Formats: sequence, C-alpha cells, structure tokens
Amino acid sequence: MSKFVEECRHEWKRLGVPDAVANEMAADLEADLAEAEAEGASAEEVLGSAVFDARSFAASWAAERGVIGPAPAAQHFSRRSRMFAAFAAPAVLAAIGAAIVIFSASPSVERQALARRVTFWAPAPPTVIHGRVLPRLRIGRGRLIVPAFVAPPAVSVHVDRGSRTAGIVLLIIGLVGLLASLLYWSPRPRRFAA
Amino acid sequence: MVDTEGRRTQLLRGVLDLCLLAVVAEEPAYGYEMTKRLRARGLTMVGEGSIYPLLGRLERNGLVETHRAASNGGPPRKYYRASREGQRALAAGVSEWRAARDAVDAVLGLVEAEVQP
Repeated sequence: MSKFVEECRHEWKRLGVPDAVANEMAADLEADLAEAEAEGASAEEVLGSAVFDARSFAASWAAERGVIGPAPAAQHFSRRSRMFAAFAAPAVLAAIGAAIVIFSASPSVERQALARRVTFWAPAPPTVIHGRVLPRLRIGRGRLIVPAFVAPPAVSVHVDRGSRTAGIVLLIIGLVGLLASLLYWSPRPRRFAA
Repeated sequence: MVDTEGRRTQLLRGVLDLCLLAVVAEEPAYGYEMTKRLRARGLTMVGEGSIYPLLGRLERNGLVETHRAASNGGPPRKYYRASREGQRALAAGVSEWRAARDAVDAVLGLVEAEVQP
C-alpha cells in the first residue's frame, strides 16, 4: 500500500468512516495509482494538488460521499467545549476552594488568630497652596487580611477537623469532576451511516 | 501580475463535475480512466483538485450509478455511469455553461489579445 493511501486510511479511521467504505475507497485509489505508475504517470497527474495533503484529500472525499458530517470537527468541538466548560469550571473552583481550606488548616496546632497591622500609603485630601491643588499621600496603619497559608505564622485561621475533612471531600469531588470533564472532552471517533 | 494558473483552476472548478458527467455519459469509466479521458481532451489535473471527492458528491446526489467490474488484467474497478438524473443535470449544466460562455465571449471576444512570448 502506498504511503499516500496509508495516510488516507488513517484519516478515515480517525474520522470514523465505516471500514467497508474506507476499504473500497482505498482499493480504488490504490488501483488507480498503480495503473498510473505503470503507465509512467505521476501521482500528481491522478490526484492533482491533493497529492500534497493526504489528510485533507481523505476528509474531503469522505465528506463528499456523505460518510461523515460536513464539518464534524467544528460542530463537535463547539458542543463538546460547552459541555466541558459546564463541568470543568465548577470542578476547578471546588478543587481550588478545597485546597485552600485544607492547606490553610492545621488542626494539631492551636494558633491565635491575629490581624497584622501593616503600614501602608493611602490617599489624603488634596492641599491647596497658593491656588494650586497638590495631591497628598499620608502614612497610615490598617489591617491587612490575608489567607493563613500566605501570611507569616502570626496570622492564622483556625480550621477544625470537620472543616478539613469537608475540604478533602470537596477536593476529591472537584478532581473527579475535572477528570470526567477531560475524559468527555478527549477526541473519539464518531460513526455515521454509510 | 495575472495569476493564470489560479484563474484556470477557478474556471475548471466550476465545471469539472459537468466534465465528469459528460465523460461517463459517453461510456462508463473508473476513476483513473476518467482522468485519462479528460487529459486526452486537454484537461490535466495537475494543479487542480482531485476528481475523487467530486465523484463522491455525484454519487451521493444520485447523478451517477456505480458497479464493479474487472479491468484489463487488474483488480475489479468501480465504474461510474451517468444516471437518468445525471443526464438531466448534464443537459441543464451544459445549457448554463453555453449561456455563460456566450456572455463572456460577448465581452472578451471584442478584446484583441496579444500574448507575449
């Protein structure tokens, strides 16, 4: 079997063309190319510019014969993408939320929840000097709320054992949802009636 | 710069299905045999699309009928011939082609073309 025909067969298999139809097309093509070669004609004289792109040629032939959808990849991708987003987005959010709960919790160590006082720059009312408005900044002190796993040990959030367990369950649910979404989204051949 | 090859491709693309129908309306033929008949009349497929997707479309639309038969010493081949519907489509298509050709000739026929060597 010529390399060109072999590439066509791979493409037909990928597109889900029924075996009987793919075999017939491959046999016809193979016989024509062999006859042309025997007569000294090039494959390009038989196939035209299609000889340089076996996959497009194979897809075009199958589509024109009506053994695959007119644009199966585009239609399928759009619908599958929407389904993927619908499942994956909540799963990712659940996984992230659960991870934050789990990793910010330390049930074995009791720590005092403190708010850290930090120095920051804040805008102040403008000052008018000799008719000119000058912006001002002032130094102030305030509270900065940060997640416990980001802040130094002085800043902590107490999470009890129950919350940690709930976080782990949530994480598992999120990861399973994400895995299911990926499995659903992964390409697979679809068959159409010949 | 005029893309002569591109224009030829575009022109042929619009009538290649009619040419195939005309070829198999004369006598049933398999794929490569059609290519040879077209070439014998000056239509080469080099640079053009392949005839196979077109044959698939003609078959799907019921414009050609197929059957398998032994070829000269080779494996059995799929022969195409124009169906009754295909013959009607061919007649209608030829009328359209002639009308279009005459209209274009009415415009371009007045131009005295000088082809530079």
